[in-house]
Amino acid sequence: MKGLTVFRSWEFMLAVVLVLELLVLGLINPAFLNIENLLFSTSDFAHVIIAAIGLTLIIMTGGIDISGVSIMGLASIVLGLAFIAGIPIGFAVVIALGVGIAAGALNGAVVANTDVNPLIVTLATLFLYAGVATGLPTLLDILGFQAYGAGGFEAYQYEGITGLPKTFTWIGSGRIGWVPMPLVIALLLAAAATWLMLFTRFGRYLKLIGVSPAVAHFTGVPIKRTLVAVYAMNGFAVAVGGLVLTAYLGSARSDLGSEALLSIITAVVLGGSSIYGGQGSVLGTLLAGFVLGFMRQGLLALGISSDVVPVLIGVLLVGSVALRIGLARLSTARANRAAFAAERMAVEGNGGMP
Amino acid sequence: MIKRIVKSREFLVLALLVAMIFAVSTVNAAVLRPLTLINIVNSSLFLILIAIGQMFVVMTRGIDVSVGAIAGLSAVIFGIALNAGIPLPIAMLCALLTGCLCGSVNAAGIVFVGIPPIIMTLGTLGAYRGLMRVLTGGSWIESIPQSIKTLAVTRYMSVPLMVWAVAALVIILAVLLYRIKAVRNFYAVGDNREGAYLLGINVRATEFTAYALAGVFAGAAAIVFTGQIGFVPMQTGSGQELKAIAAVVLGGVSLMGGTGTIWSAVIGALFLTTVDSMMIFLKVPGSWNNAVAGGVLLAIVVFDYLIRRTVRNRQLAMRAAEMHHAEQDHDTPLQPKEAVR
Repeated sequence: MKGLTVFRSWEFMLAVVLVLELLVLGLINPAFLNIENLLFSTSDFAHVIIAAIGLTLIIMTGGIDISGVSIMGLASIVLGLAFIAGIPIGFAVVIALGVGIAAGALNGAVVANTDVNPLIVTLATLFLYAGVATGLPTLLDILGFQAYGAGGFEAYQYEGITGLPKTFTWIGSGRIGWVPMPLVIALLLAAAATWLMLFTRFGRYLKLIGVSPAVAHFTGVPIKRTLVAVYAMNGFAVAVGGLVLTAYLGSARSDLGSEALLSIITAVVLGGSSIYGGQGSVLGTLLAGFVLGFMRQGLLALGISSDVVPVLIGVLLVGSVALRIGLARLSTARANRAAFAAERMAVEGNGGMP
Repeated sequence: MIKRIVKSREFLVLALLVAMIFAVSTVNAAVLRPLTLINIVNSSLFLILIAIGQMFVVMTRGIDVSVGAIAGLSAVIFGIALNAGIPLPIAMLCALLTGCLCGSVNAAGIVFVGIPPIIMTLGTLGAYRGLMRVLTGGSWIESIPQSIKTLAVTRYMSVPLMVWAVAALVIILAVLLYRIKAVRNFYAVGDNREGAYLLGINVRATEFTAYALAGVFAGAAAIVFTGQIGFVPMQTGSGQELKAIAAVVLGGVSLMGGTGTIWSAVIGALFLTTVDSMMIFLKVPGSWNNAVAGGVLLAIVVFDYLIRRTVRNRQLAMRAAEMHHAEQDHDTPLQPKEAVR
């Protein structure tokens, strides 16, 4: 019985769905199953998976961070502006990641220290960070920084910053062996997050806070510190996602990734995380990210208009949650029936006694 | 009554709004021209309407992030209906019905299946937005009979007809909400779902109505929007769902449910739109609009938390002091059980 639970897990179901999906798409269009193509196409949605991994940790605590998509753009434009200002690219990456961590930590600090709903906090910072990202070029001009080239920083307000050095774009378009770099980074982050969840005290704290903040508090979990840390980690992950996408597209933009919010949350929820906290796994998110990403690729390859894709993603999101609710109700009903039967046997057994 | 109004969050935001307008008028006096103010109100009509719909949902402790997409889909249906030569009143009805239907789909998933509101409406956000593109093939609906714009251009006493219409709607709603007993159900369900159920309130029907109403108001917003600009771009309503939530929260409706009035939605929406307009008068580049709106929202909710905490701490301190006095008055200390009370 114990060995069977692996096959009953949500992650296993997702893996089966992923394989089936690839098979079906391959049957319709054999070119789709070319391993090299398949691996390379992950670069299109690796940033969604990376951001979803960070969000999984937050949703584990029962919180949410919808400002991640804005942090993506913020990290991207910060990197681009730093590059134009003549800062070495390695240092520019560090600055961009630092901005991402700081932005995430600000979310965490407000969530941890007030009773304001995380959705509202990050809704406010969603606007705030997006606004800062679009406004930053003009601000740098006002502050008197010098940009290479004519027109100052303002010229880059709505245009992407291109001409990024090869050493940087390699993280978006390079590959190790057959595996493209964005996928390598996504897998590394997933491994790190899994280790964090399964083998560290911090991971246990996240889950405990999600199950019951009150119990966590009285058990001595440092709730505030943990929350700030996990939101900062999400900021880091999202900034990495933003940089990977920047490198992949070869252009730093302030509105990068703003379309990804629905996909990111869908990946987390489809991956088995409960929006109420305390439930979910990074592996599930990773698998769901692949399911979603390949579905999109496959539909586009089949010539289905990209307009239909969000409809399907939306239906998938709602359907997967409805399915989980249905399964949970079934198992409750089964448990109730079993308990009832056991009780009845016990009563009848008793009645038979002299 | 007056004291209660002055102390309310709506009044605080309204005062901030007036203060902001006067502060900006010291830099640029053009702000105080009646026409400017009328135009600000005119451009906030869309947000006011979807914020009112959102308010019903938030009041019942739900959330609807699909209202912008519903407005977009309703606008597309409205445009298609008008292009098909359907008379204006029936086309309007079509838009409202589309909104109602979309809201009911949300409601069905949330109320009957038990899907968390944010997940359900996020899913339908994608679905409705996709449907919009599928229906139009991704192109704008442009050839709408321009007679529709007469609605927006007609002015009485230099105030656009639509402003009058929305103002009348808001006042009628405010009176109705105050008068109808069933409206209390929204507050009861939002404040304490189990308690409301035990009181015999039809919880499911109440929640269903809230989401359906959110859809209807999104449909109304779509009519106003299409009337004002005379065509239906694909971005109609995009990002407005978040602004609607921001407006409602800014106006003082708690996401924990059970609070809020129609004035919260109206004042919150006016505030957000005014912030955008003020940026223009201060000659701040438009790119900073979102940053300011987000910063204001963050500052207000945190400030509100600090005020509530201070008030609560003071009440606790007063109660502690009272108990302390009571203990001193009696020679024998109170029994521990009573002291706890």
